[in-house]
Amino acid sequence: MSTNKVEGSVLTASSGKDKPAVGADKTVIKALGLSGGIFGASPCSVDVKDGKVIRIRPLHFDSKYDSESFNPWKMERNGTVFEPLMKTTPAPWSLAYKKRTYSPNRVMYPMKRVDWDPNGERNTQNRGKSKFVRISWDEATDLIAAEIRRVHKEYGPLAILVQGDGHGECKMIHAPHGCATLLFDKMGGFTQQVRNPDSWEGWYWGAKHVWGKGFIGMMAPADNVVKDISEHSDMVVVWGGDPETTHWGFRGQLASRLLYFWSEIGIKQVYICPDLNYSAAIHADKWIPVLPNTDAALQLAIIYQWIVEGTYDKEYVATHTVGFDKIKSYVLGEADGIVKTPKWASEKCGVPSYTIKALARDWAEKIVTIGHYFAGGMARGPYSHEPARLECILLGMQGLGKPGVHQAQIAYTGMPKNIIAGGKDHMGTFGNLEGTPAGDRILKPHRGTPTAWGKQMIPKTLIEEAIKKGTVDFYGTGGHEEPTSDQYKKYTYPIPAEEGGTEIHMMWTDTPCRQTCWNCGNDVAETSRNSKIECIVAQHPWLENDCLFADIVLPTNTTLEVDDISPCLRDGDSFQSVLLMRKAVEPIGESKSDYEAIVEVAKKLGLEKEVTEGFTVDELIKETYKGMRFDQIVSWDEFQEKDYFVIPVSKDWEKHPAGLYEFYSDPEANPLPTPTGKLEFYSESLAQAFPNDEERPPYPMWIEKGISHDERLSSKRAQAYPLLVLSNHGRWRVHAQADDIPWSKEAVTGKVRGFDGYLYEPCWLNPADAAARKIKNGDIIRVYNERGSVLCGALVFERVMSGAVSIDHGARADYIIPGKLDRGGAINTITPEALTSRHAAGQATTSFLVEVERVSMAQLDQWRTENPEAFERAYDAASGLRFNGWIEGGNR
Amino acid sequence: MGKKVFVIDMAICNGCYACQFVCKDEHVGNDWTPIAKPEPEIGQFWMKLDEKVHGTVPKVKVSYRPHLCMHCDNAACIKACPVNDAIYKRDDGLVIVDPLKCTGCRNCVDSCPYSAIYFNEDLNIAQKCTGCAHLIDNGWSEPRCADACPTLAIRFLDEDDVGELIAGADVWMPEIKDELQPRVYYLNLPKKFIAGTIFDPDADEVIIGAECVLSEIGGDRKYTVSTDNYGDFWFKDIADGKFRLEINSNGKLRVFDDLDTTKADINLGDIPFS
Repeated sequence: MSTNKVEGSVLTASSGKDKPAVGADKTVIKALGLSGGIFGASPCSVDVKDGKVIRIRPLHFDSKYDSESFNPWKMERNGTVFEPLMKTTPAPWSLAYKKRTYSPNRVMYPMKRVDWDPNGERNTQNRGKSKFVRISWDEATDLIAAEIRRVHKEYGPLAILVQGDGHGECKMIHAPHGCATLLFDKMGGFTQQVRNPDSWEGWYWGAKHVWGKGFIGMMAPADNVVKDISEHSDMVVVWGGDPETTHWGFRGQLASRLLYFWSEIGIKQVYICPDLNYSAAIHADKWIPVLPNTDAALQLAIIYQWIVEGTYDKEYVATHTVGFDKIKSYVLGEADGIVKTPKWASEKCGVPSYTIKALARDWAEKIVTIGHYFAGGMARGPYSHEPARLECILLGMQGLGKPGVHQAQIAYTGMPKNIIAGGKDHMGTFGNLEGTPAGDRILKPHRGTPTAWGKQMIPKTLIEEAIKKGTVDFYGTGGHEEPTSDQYKKYTYPIPAEEGGTEIHMMWTDTPCRQTCWNCGNDVAETSRNSKIECIVAQHPWLENDCLFADIVLPTNTTLEVDDISPCLRDGDSFQSVLLMRKAVEPIGESKSDYEAIVEVAKKLGLEKEVTEGFTVDELIKETYKGMRFDQIVSWDEFQEKDYFVIPVSKDWEKHPAGLYEFYSDPEANPLPTPTGKLEFYSESLAQAFPNDEERPPYPMWIEKGISHDERLSSKRAQAYPLLVLSNHGRWRVHAQADDIPWSKEAVTGKVRGFDGYLYEPCWLNPADAAARKIKNGDIIRVYNERGSVLCGALVFERVMSGAVSIDHGARADYIIPGKLDRGGAINTITPEALTSRHAAGQATTSFLVEVERVSMAQLDQWRTENPEAFERAYDAASGLRFNGWIEGGNR
Repeated sequence: MGKKVFVIDMAICNGCYACQFVCKDEHVGNDWTPIAKPEPEIGQFWMKLDEKVHGTVPKVKVSYRPHLCMHCDNAACIKACPVNDAIYKRDDGLVIVDPLKCTGCRNCVDSCPYSAIYFNEDLNIAQKCTGCAHLIDNGWSEPRCADACPTLAIRFLDEDDVGELIAGADVWMPEIKDELQPRVYYLNLPKKFIAGTIFDPDADEVIIGAECVLSEIGGDRKYTVSTDNYGDFWFKDIADGKFRLEINSNGKLRVFDDLDTTKADINLGDIPFS
């Protein structure tokens, strides 16, 4: 719009001293991000009066310290300077977090499903349909202890599946997820649900085979790339991910300031995505809309253009890569008779061929970094390893690792290091905890990885298949920390009986969001009712999603209700810090922390001491402080007095090599962790492990369809379902979290209030697609395919290309017909069941075929008549679903 | 106490809504009488982020505007209020609706050209942005919205310190500036754009460097740009009006007459040029 002419403001460090806690009787400091136990968030000051939170605001780093002691970093290009702010920059919903603590959807007391009788009829077929009755903690823990004993006796310990992984609040001691492992670990183990990477599937199952990195699959190391891009890049191609949105869950809004700075210093920003995402909306110099999951075609055409015009780094390709000849032959049509020209690509991806050529040339002339904040639609759909691997090839053809040429998770990594950064690989400073007196106790619940337990495992994407079929084989666990080689290893569930292997018969979840966050939620719902699963226990602060399919629900509480500690060590705010997070308010209702809930169950099993290891919460906080060696930089007394400490920036941060610079400089001396030490455009390992895998061949290809997926516009299915869903990480949620904040629903893209007063999840529609279906802005619409239907609210505007519709994932499911028709907008209920591809156990939860239609008043009335209970559940006009809607007699 | 102004830079408003959220955090469920009584949970916005989508695919931008009480020096609401001092102006320039004196007549709600005053049915009073006067009076240098703004797009400054900054700034509805004398200044308020892409369909190539000249019809404004590496031309920050566009490439000329930016931004699409 404007020329982004900044009147000195964005580049001026704020000199905010702390502000008095007006009207409050105390203030505590909390990390209110939602990325999970460790790594922390953008710290907030929480003002409390008479035991109630009255205000949540940014923390001013310099309120209790002299800012000089932080050794503030500075970046510069052509005299324009980028400097830290002295305040934190939390996401809007972090600042509204009291609405989560006081949500009408909070579980107020322990509950049992009304028609589940462990000594009689369990009525598993009624899960998700029948309501709950209040029981006491004493009754609940008796019931659970008895079920654990029974299941252990009948089937063995591994018959209990623990779903204790994923994103959640930032708490170290009262870990939001995984506390149950502390108990079952002392009882002979459990079956572990292994959380697959759910924001970067393509890189995990694809890019790792090119550059060999063990963790997640993004480019690593990525140190110091922010400074390097700022100084050397001409252009950043932001492909898929949305740095203005997804970082909200993890840290502060530094990425936003950085993107403005890059514009200011003349770094061009090109955004390639089907939607005008929140970054493109304000930072794009050029938006190139691409149909969902057709990025591979666009990438191949760029490679084609570079090959025929000779505009790639031939010397680098010769010295730093293997297998370019295979790619070249494929792109030029020698392998399959199809030349991957811009014309060819254009028909698939919807980008004009002249624009593809222009992009290829502009890129070749410039120093270009590919930017992301996770994958957006680019690497989370069917066969996502293909665009992810092709991205590595694009970067490799332009000299990956040379100054200004990186793959960058924008400000998620790559900011200046602090004085204690380091330690073991990706665990960084947390690695220091290993081997300390309470280190295991503190770290283990946070490790959603087989490295921590790994006896009998099921990837999170295969739980339903495992239950239905009783056995399942898979290659690679999908655990974040696993090396690439794990993907060649075959696993079988269950493990042999002589090793304790058994099918699962009980499920324990503290991450009840499978239905709205993973593959095919309708299948999750259906399978939850399988009579093989005799007992489901859920512990959670809110009554939502998979909780509604549980037999026993334990009320847990939020971070505002507990004492804890949070190291905030991710990039994404001006400085890193560590917080002593004192309790703000007393627990709501009868809730206990996730950890305390487990201790209550342990007491009934005579295992309290084993689970607590004799530590009090205060002692565990201090052990974390000491174990992570914060005692070397701030005294316990000072930390206790101030409640936070800003970790100074390393004195020599500017000297840390940027990204893969060392590999670029000397690939022989600094090889990549691949079998050849080079970028493997062609993977001999994949060729040997899976010689006949046409879905993930040894080098990346365009996969039109395969045995796993048929989700292209070329499919016969597209005659009935002619639109492709783009499903991003939520703007107003982190996965399933924070869908209950009333104030975010008031944003234009928050929720759409239907003619019935219900708050529907928005479905972005291009005006042309809407008009063709007689859909108007604000209409209630049904988004559907063979897997089911989801009701949404139409948001008709120019922020999405024709042929695509955009629906953020993670809305709370609110079934009209469980497993078939959802009113809550949980689009994952109708995503593909199949994995990323045959041998890659990731999820494909974006870029799939649907049709949309307008829902008439008559249609809604018919559903209401046929499913009266679904429409009679108590509903809050401001925040949506209510806890009492699921309590027997609770509507009254 | 010096007089305060809001200075809001639209060029760096990223649309995060933190301002709108923290305004509610401060005022929903909290009673700051005598400055303000609690705000309703939903539907009312003492700080509202307005957002607007400009253009058509693929030439689309979104602009966000923090929308609040303008704390006018010659406020329409004060004049419209029948009760003495029920709406008053403080020495620091903030305009306050006194929640104890307001009788609920709604005259002020109707009088405000900025739609910044809301009516609280439950309390039977008019309510609006107070500039967080209850905080300013207790040691805060700025209201919650400015404190929470991650890019410093919203600032609350001493009028004496910002002379240069606001000299060229816009106000919302400049036509009533002199009459109302608002105290909220906007930098880089979005104007309109005219954009498009030029390509040669025979060569299947974009046309780079084509000269595009935009002239105001019946005026003397004239702008010239060249198409970029994508064949795109962008006239940004164009005022409302009627324009004529001439595109020159290799001796060929295309003319678009009567481009009207009064209502909306204009994307002329992909224009074949052969």
